[in-house]
Amino acid sequence: MFLVVLGLAMGRAAAAPPRFEADVLPVLYRHCFSCHSEKQAKPKAGLRLDSAAAIDEAGVIVPGKPDASELLKRVSLPLTDADVMPPLKGGAQPLSDAERALVREWITAGADLGGWIKFEHRQPPLEAAGAPLARAAVPDLAREVDAFVDRHHARHGTRPNAPVSDEVFLRRVHLDVVGRIPSLDESTRFLTSTAEDKRARLIDALLGSEGHVSHTYNWKADQLRINPRALAGGQPAWLYDDWVKEAIRSGLPHDETVRRLITASGYLWDNGAAGFYLRDLGMPLDHASNLSRVFLGTRMECAQCHDNPLEPVTQKDFYQMAAFTAGVSNLNSPSGYSNDHVRQWPDLKALLARMDADKALQDGVSRTISPLKRLTRDTAKPLTFPATYVHDPAERGRPVSPRTLFGDEAPIVDGDRRRAFAEWMTSPRNPRFARNAANRLWKRVLGAGLIEPVDSLTALPPPEHRELLDFLTATLIRLRFDERAFLAVVLNTRLYQSAAVRERPEPGTSFALQGPLLRRLSAEQIWDSHLVLLVPDLDERKPLLRHEGSNLNPARLRQLSTLSAEAIIDRARDEMAYRARRREHTLRLADQQHELTAARARGDAAEVSRLQAAHERENETFFSPELQALEMGGAQPAPETDARWKFLPRGLVRASEIPLPLPLGHFLRQFGQSDRREIDAYNRDPNPTHALALMNGDLVARILAPDSLLRRQLAATGGDRDRMLALIYRAVLVRAPTAAELATLASATASSPTPAEDTIWALLNSPEFLFQP
Amino acid sequence: MKSTLTDLSRRAFVERFVKTFLGVSLLLGPGRLRAAGASPRARAKSVIFLYLRGGLSHIDTFDPKPGRPEMGGVRAIGTSADGVQVSEWFPRMARQMHHVSLVRSMTSTQGIHELGAYTAHTSHFLTPTIRHPALSSWVVKLLGSENRLLPANVLINGSPQHPGSGYFPAHLAPLPIVDPGAGLQNAALPRTVSEEDFARRTALARAIGSHFVQQTPHRDAAAYLKVQQEAAALMRSEDLKVFDISREDERTRAAYGPHTFGKGCLLARRLVEAGVRFIEVEDDQNWDTHNDQLPAMRIMTPSADQTMAALLEDLHQRGLLASTLVVMATEFGRTPQISTVTAGRGHHPGVFTWWAAGGGVKGGYVHGQSDAIGEHVAADPVTMPDFNATVALALGMDVAHLEHSPSGRPFTVADQGRPVTALFA
Repeated sequence: MFLVVLGLAMGRAAAAPPRFEADVLPVLYRHCFSCHSEKQAKPKAGLRLDSAAAIDEAGVIVPGKPDASELLKRVSLPLTDADVMPPLKGGAQPLSDAERALVREWITAGADLGGWIKFEHRQPPLEAAGAPLARAAVPDLAREVDAFVDRHHARHGTRPNAPVSDEVFLRRVHLDVVGRIPSLDESTRFLTSTAEDKRARLIDALLGSEGHVSHTYNWKADQLRINPRALAGGQPAWLYDDWVKEAIRSGLPHDETVRRLITASGYLWDNGAAGFYLRDLGMPLDHASNLSRVFLGTRMECAQCHDNPLEPVTQKDFYQMAAFTAGVSNLNSPSGYSNDHVRQWPDLKALLARMDADKALQDGVSRTISPLKRLTRDTAKPLTFPATYVHDPAERGRPVSPRTLFGDEAPIVDGDRRRAFAEWMTSPRNPRFARNAANRLWKRVLGAGLIEPVDSLTALPPPEHRELLDFLTATLIRLRFDERAFLAVVLNTRLYQSAAVRERPEPGTSFALQGPLLRRLSAEQIWDSHLVLLVPDLDERKPLLRHEGSNLNPARLRQLSTLSAEAIIDRARDEMAYRARRREHTLRLADQQHELTAARARGDAAEVSRLQAAHERENETFFSPELQALEMGGAQPAPETDARWKFLPRGLVRASEIPLPLPLGHFLRQFGQSDRREIDAYNRDPNPTHALALMNGDLVARILAPDSLLRRQLAATGGDRDRMLALIYRAVLVRAPTAAELATLASATASSPTPAEDTIWALLNSPEFLFQP
Repeated sequence: MKSTLTDLSRRAFVERFVKTFLGVSLLLGPGRLRAAGASPRARAKSVIFLYLRGGLSHIDTFDPKPGRPEMGGVRAIGTSADGVQVSEWFPRMARQMHHVSLVRSMTSTQGIHELGAYTAHTSHFLTPTIRHPALSSWVVKLLGSENRLLPANVLINGSPQHPGSGYFPAHLAPLPIVDPGAGLQNAALPRTVSEEDFARRTALARAIGSHFVQQTPHRDAAAYLKVQQEAAALMRSEDLKVFDISREDERTRAAYGPHTFGKGCLLARRLVEAGVRFIEVEDDQNWDTHNDQLPAMRIMTPSADQTMAALLEDLHQRGLLASTLVVMATEFGRTPQISTVTAGRGHHPGVFTWWAAGGGVKGGYVHGQSDAIGEHVAADPVTMPDFNATVALALGMDVAHLEHSPSGRPFTVADQGRPVTALFA
């Protein structure tokens, strides 16, 4: 014991001092370079710390004498002291105690820079990833990932968690790949299969399924903030959703997807990807911040107004990046329509003048052609430094030269800024594009990224998990950005198939590579999992909306841009007549309703039936064929004709099929689905309204009802009580009941008239249902 | 309130039962300010925090600049407060300004929605290493609640990104009401389920759930078991009818307006009457008017004007205004210059307006100024932490009181914010 203690003490004394590049440089990067580096037009107090020469010249570090080192003194002042470094005003983070101790130790040991010359602010491009790989390479790639994990554990003296059973794997992989629990049939098929490679086959089957499209869509929608209400008004906004879904479904590689989004042009009904720009109408700078965050894992928005206090990214950097997409226009000029958007505009204007059209007609025509104003196109318009530009006031008002922040330069050819930007971004040489995607995909199925937060990629990659992330990045590139193949790699690892880490990690701690993280299901996964118990063939059910009768019908809009000026005026007249008729109809209905209420109150039965008949006639007339022929009105929900779903409420479809904004009070909103006004704006915190919804809400009541899919499945199997319980457990929790649970259930439901309902209710209201195993 | 003796004793029993599960205490917390000289300020018992999401333009609302071209032709109108003008789009609020203290010199460095909203709610900057509790959680932690049968902290129509209780225990997070018209949803047993069924099922769920929780140290797993108990307690609360706004007469409902913000504020007033400590109501119209500023304001302002004015008037008429602090907040203002391209205004954290009314603040008062066009602060800058510290002071909280995060870091209710004592009468 004594010897061991002595050994430890000697070990500490012999420990190497902190190395500059690996240990001290990151501290300077995070806390000092934002004001004291070559990135600023004028470094604060003329002090630069990002090169050996500058540090030497500055004299703020005295080797061997920490207490004489001005730098250490300033960062060690109390936080309330006005002279503390970094200054806290504006959001800079003070050094932690550990960081201060590190710097002190380094200075004490001689402040050795170890040959470091200067910091390269411009992160270099990636070198070649290697030859392309096919899907067949997945098993080998998975083994290589596991080898990294094993090496990690060997180095840290830790162990991975135990492998999981088929039941745990089954539930987990369904939730991670198709966003819902497996159906009873799916469970039974898998659990009774004896195929040796059944797990690998299940992974492949799920990745290729429609369920995967639904689940992946939710993820992308949160990042891209797909929100029909927030898309520019008067447009068939669902076409953007559809575009994204089709890109997922067809396996469009990630790099190609991003290229198409960035270079999207045209009308939304001709190119759904134009929604990418229409989503941020009038906010080109915010748009640039958002795309940087989502596609490059880099948060630039702070630098829109001032140099970033948390890392040396400046306002100039921001404007140079934003300049690539700043020429995109999808607005009509405030002074009226332009020939660029509405070809017929000169003829139309002339015709209206010749007709001496009154204001009503002019407004009507304007309204009819208004969807044409949102034409997305790139222009040569440069971005200029704003009047409020603080990085270098001398530049205010001058045009910004687009320049990439890291990796290769992106020279512009033929004035096409967006093409240069898209090529640079999606290039295998981009140091952050593939890395960001790999990190996010990893997080998707393991619960936390190798870098957290996922949008904190910087010029100084953190040392933890660096090699593994390098490998994953190269793998994604070599798989030609096939996201499904990449996921297959991760899902086939031993790591993924290990028991979950069941504690919630502290923010700021690094992934321990022991297993996936236990976490609450998303609102969409909870909703979809309930629906598995109610809706057969859930993945196939899509809401039916008839757009033919809608003024946002894409075919009708496509036609609009080809009509002659005269035809446009005719159409405008028809639409005006329809609207007038609709106004009358609404008023008449309101009057009738009023009279009906009064008649009911009076108890005048004859009058009530007379009014009801009149009400029906009014509706019939309004929805008459001739008015239908005008092709106006909102999209109509079509009646459900599929035998599988005929008796189910219309709203019981997967979350990915329910457009935002949700009806107030919807289950998905209760459970914290993102409103997609901001990136990843979901919430998974528990609160009592969740318990109320599960205990007393409509969804659980439907599942308990004797004619629900689950109850019918249970009835069909027949058999004794134990068999029924086993099936309930399999259907809801995807496992078998323990002996203890069977005993608890037996006593609790002994004299209950509804033992099946009790059991189903209890399982749906157990926290276990809400967590990813 | 009329009640028989049996009602009282039954109520007392339920109170004790509920108290265990709602986790609030009627005891005054350690954070109450006791200093005698300061007690006149501690008049507020409740807070209604109105959050107008998206960045509300200040010169189009409560800090107009009459005669300036930046106004885009929008005029300023006189109000019930001497020498104070507001935008012509707020004629009803104009008649309530004698209750209001305008702070026209709000200033922030956070010009991004997520960041500005986070600081508005927590007084801190968003960082990845910790989740700070919102002001409302601080308030209920230190002050408890006047009514133990109801949740002390409620969020009506709020954003899913609301910071909630941060590192404080989950029961201090606001109870979200996503549809004020529907009140507290799912609070009643379904018709086909008897009390016996319910008791049997909840016991069974608890037994099965406990086993899972025992094996699962994750904070949220245990929290989900706990919220079941809280929910069951809420169901039994005799004061649940407070959540039902259809009990208000037609005239009152019409005064607040049929839109969500209107219903939300009406619900907030009912909750205040019942002693709920902190209610946030969000107006989630898209105040982020990057495009077509004037037409957008024309569409959005009538409902906001109507509702905010109705709330102040109603609180005043019922004698609740003196003890209820009403606050209007937003994440930043908007640029005075209207864009020639979009006809909208951009984000502008440099200067903007929040206001406070009731709870002991001065009426008809203006604190601070922006410059001639509303671009910069001209006098008496007030940060979001400063304003939040003022709210804390109004409630009688000790702004220097320390609470510690689980990792041991010390925090105060409004970080370094200094209360604007000039707001108090």
